[in-house]
Amino acid sequence: MSYRLIDLELSGPITPVPLESGQHGFGIVARWRGRPIGFHLEEWPAGALVGADELASIADRHFAEAVLAARVEDALPPSAAGDGRSGPTLSIAICTRNRAQRLARLLRSLDELRPEPSFAGVEIIVVDNGSTDDTKGAVARFAGARHVLERKAGLNFARNRALSEAKGDLIAFLDDDVVVDAGWLAGLVSAWRSRPDAGGFSGLVLPYRLQTEAQLLFERRGGFRRGFKRIEFRAGNYHNPLFPVGAGSVGAGCNMAFDRRLLLDLGGFDEALDTGAPLPGGGDLDIFYRVLRSGRAMVYEPRYAVHHEHRETLAELQRQYWSWGLGLMAFVAKSRRSDPELARRHRAMVAWWLGDQARAFLRSVRRSDLRGARFTLAETWGGVMGFAGEYERSRARVAAIAAEAS
Amino acid sequence: MNAPAAVRHVDLRRAEPAVPDAGLVLDIFWWGDLPVGSRTSIRAELPLGEGQLQAIAAELMAEQLAGREVALGAPLVAGNEGRPHAVLGVGRAAAFSHVAERLQSLSSRAPCDAGEVSLIICTRDRPEALGRCLVSLAHQQSLPGELIVVDNSAGGSARQVCSEFGQVTYVHEPEPGLSRARNAGVRRARGSILVFTDDDVEAHPGWLSEIVRTFGEHDVDCITGLVLPAALETEAQCEFQFTLGAFGGSFVPVLFDHRFFAETKPHGAQVWRIGAGANMAFRRRAFERAGLFDERLGAGASGCSEDSELWYRLLALGGSCLHEPRAVVLHHHRASWSALLDQMRVYMRGHVSALVAQADAFGDRACLKRIGWQLPRYFVRTGLKSLARGRGRRLRILLAEVRGWLEGLTYLVRPRWRRRRGEWPTL
Repeated sequence: MSYRLIDLELSGPITPVPLESGQHGFGIVARWRGRPIGFHLEEWPAGALVGADELASIADRHFAEAVLAARVEDALPPSAAGDGRSGPTLSIAICTRNRAQRLARLLRSLDELRPEPSFAGVEIIVVDNGSTDDTKGAVARFAGARHVLERKAGLNFARNRALSEAKGDLIAFLDDDVVVDAGWLAGLVSAWRSRPDAGGFSGLVLPYRLQTEAQLLFERRGGFRRGFKRIEFRAGNYHNPLFPVGAGSVGAGCNMAFDRRLLLDLGGFDEALDTGAPLPGGGDLDIFYRVLRSGRAMVYEPRYAVHHEHRETLAELQRQYWSWGLGLMAFVAKSRRSDPELARRHRAMVAWWLGDQARAFLRSVRRSDLRGARFTLAETWGGVMGFAGEYERSRARVAAIAAEAS
Repeated sequence: MNAPAAVRHVDLRRAEPAVPDAGLVLDIFWWGDLPVGSRTSIRAELPLGEGQLQAIAAELMAEQLAGREVALGAPLVAGNEGRPHAVLGVGRAAAFSHVAERLQSLSSRAPCDAGEVSLIICTRDRPEALGRCLVSLAHQQSLPGELIVVDNSAGGSARQVCSEFGQVTYVHEPEPGLSRARNAGVRRARGSILVFTDDDVEAHPGWLSEIVRTFGEHDVDCITGLVLPAALETEAQCEFQFTLGAFGGSFVPVLFDHRFFAETKPHGAQVWRIGAGANMAFRRRAFERAGLFDERLGAGASGCSEDSELWYRLLALGGSCLHEPRAVVLHHHRASWSALLDQMRVYMRGHVSALVAQADAFGDRACLKRIGWQLPRYFVRTGLKSLARGRGRRLRILLAEVRGWLEGLTYLVRPRWRRRRGEWPTL
């Protein structure tokens, strides 16, 4: 079971798209003059042709308002917030381990970006978190990328290493399982221009492909999508009294950027989160939360987009949901203690989250969606483990790793 | 913090105004003279900043174009819950030309002559509020042909205030009832456009001009405008605005016609979505077509909904209403908690009585279904939700609404009241 991904440029003529025999539908990434403005999944007979008229009518139903909004945005005088400031320098940090091929794919996509004159300079740092494959060789084939070895195993060890190696005013983090969209760099510039004093930026995460049942399921369950509107986040929100606890709505760790000096002031990433196998998550929530609590804004910009290779097997996907629960609750358990001022919001978050998981479980059961129910149980179980001392266990592990390395 | 909340008016074409000293801020966004949207923020989210205002402007102005440009399918027709049906297609959105010029032309328009307008204000023992209202009317870009104040108090308490303002036609209607007062105003009026507002509002300078313009552009029987909060200084006012949604009202024009009536009639024709009596205007022909206000309804009689019952009649007889948010008044919500509870009780009682009147006159059983099924379901749901979230204030309001509903039920068993079905006063 797979879906075809269709990149649909709405400013030009629409042409028919044939589906292959194994493709039971398609996902549309709709664009206006290159800018992503919408995403939609549609079931379709396998192997059939999707006619231009049919695509146009789907586009009318789902993307017409977004086209008009994009045109209005182009017609309005641009925000002058970032004018008069010289463009920042940018460090792009990619943390990787034993994924030479995917890393090469990402570096190729970065290579294809047009140079963005608004940035005074761009460097690429690949932090190799102890790979045993040809990661070093893959980096060497790209002239603009620098290879740095970080032996301490753990994503946030690698991210902190990138932070100390980087020179840029901004530092953008990419996971090795994404490729950047053609508008990625320009999107980051426009986000920075609209709010030059922001502490961080996050972007849209689209699917790279919908080849397997697991990838399709993940996207059907919402994926990483945070919408196609630019949003600013501050340390509170009228519509979400728990915010910024559970700052997952801000974005995802596979595509985020920060003011580098702010991250250094905040002490970098929490190395006990996102440690790889034992506690693979929570690091992004934690850093978003700390940036917001420092008083600086986070900006979500859909043009700053990547395409993410989702987990390919159902077992991997189930593990991902488990790790989301684990990461979230380990983060809540940690920051409830480190930020007593918001302890009430943390407690309320735990209660809300458990209720939400229960509702999701019942919904799946009612629809006889047993797989969905299993995913929810895995996430809940992860959450229970995360809350029951996983952060302390992780700290002990991380301390041992650090001691061994020194 | 001095106040629980504040209203801030933000022109999206200009720099952001200072952040008021309040815990909550309701931003009303304008594009010049055009109101385009609103947003509530807590103090920590402000100032919004230039980039965010830019994003808000793009989104809201796209909605304005879609709702106002004939080439994009305007005017939009209301459907369920008063929400407009989307008609925009990618082809039309892509081909629409001169976007920047069209946006520019939305921001302000030359005033229209309002000589044909008879402005009718009904008041009852609120001379201070009436004075504030009359002061605001002096700043209209286009003055009405005549201004009629109908004093519904027993003792004529508004006479003194009216004498301080020139050009006011004073009418004393001592028999209590807002419908009675409004009908007295209609009978006295000479203009072809009859505009109504209440004594607790202040009018935006372009208000009457926009009403006249809209009647010139659309062949509709009635126009309703936008009712925005004048201030949010007390907890009761905040509760009415933020929790109860105040008077609602879309920021894009919406047409309520036979299509809306047919679509919503099975669920009890949602005519109350059309607007509010504090900001409505009729062509004279509307009263010739449907009769005057039902004097059994309205404040001072059964409670309220004399406005929506007249809209029901108009739509049932093939007429149409247009909500045009460009015509703006600012409303002073009830300041005290007890006044708000009383208001919500009376609103619900009036709503139920209007449903009974509609069911009697037009044999519309869906109106009775709303009384016996939809409203109790709303009470149960809101009650459970408020309990779960520990929202005591919402519960108190709900209890007032339930009381109003029970009082409203008594109209079902008042044979004399119901015998007067379908007997509306005429011009």
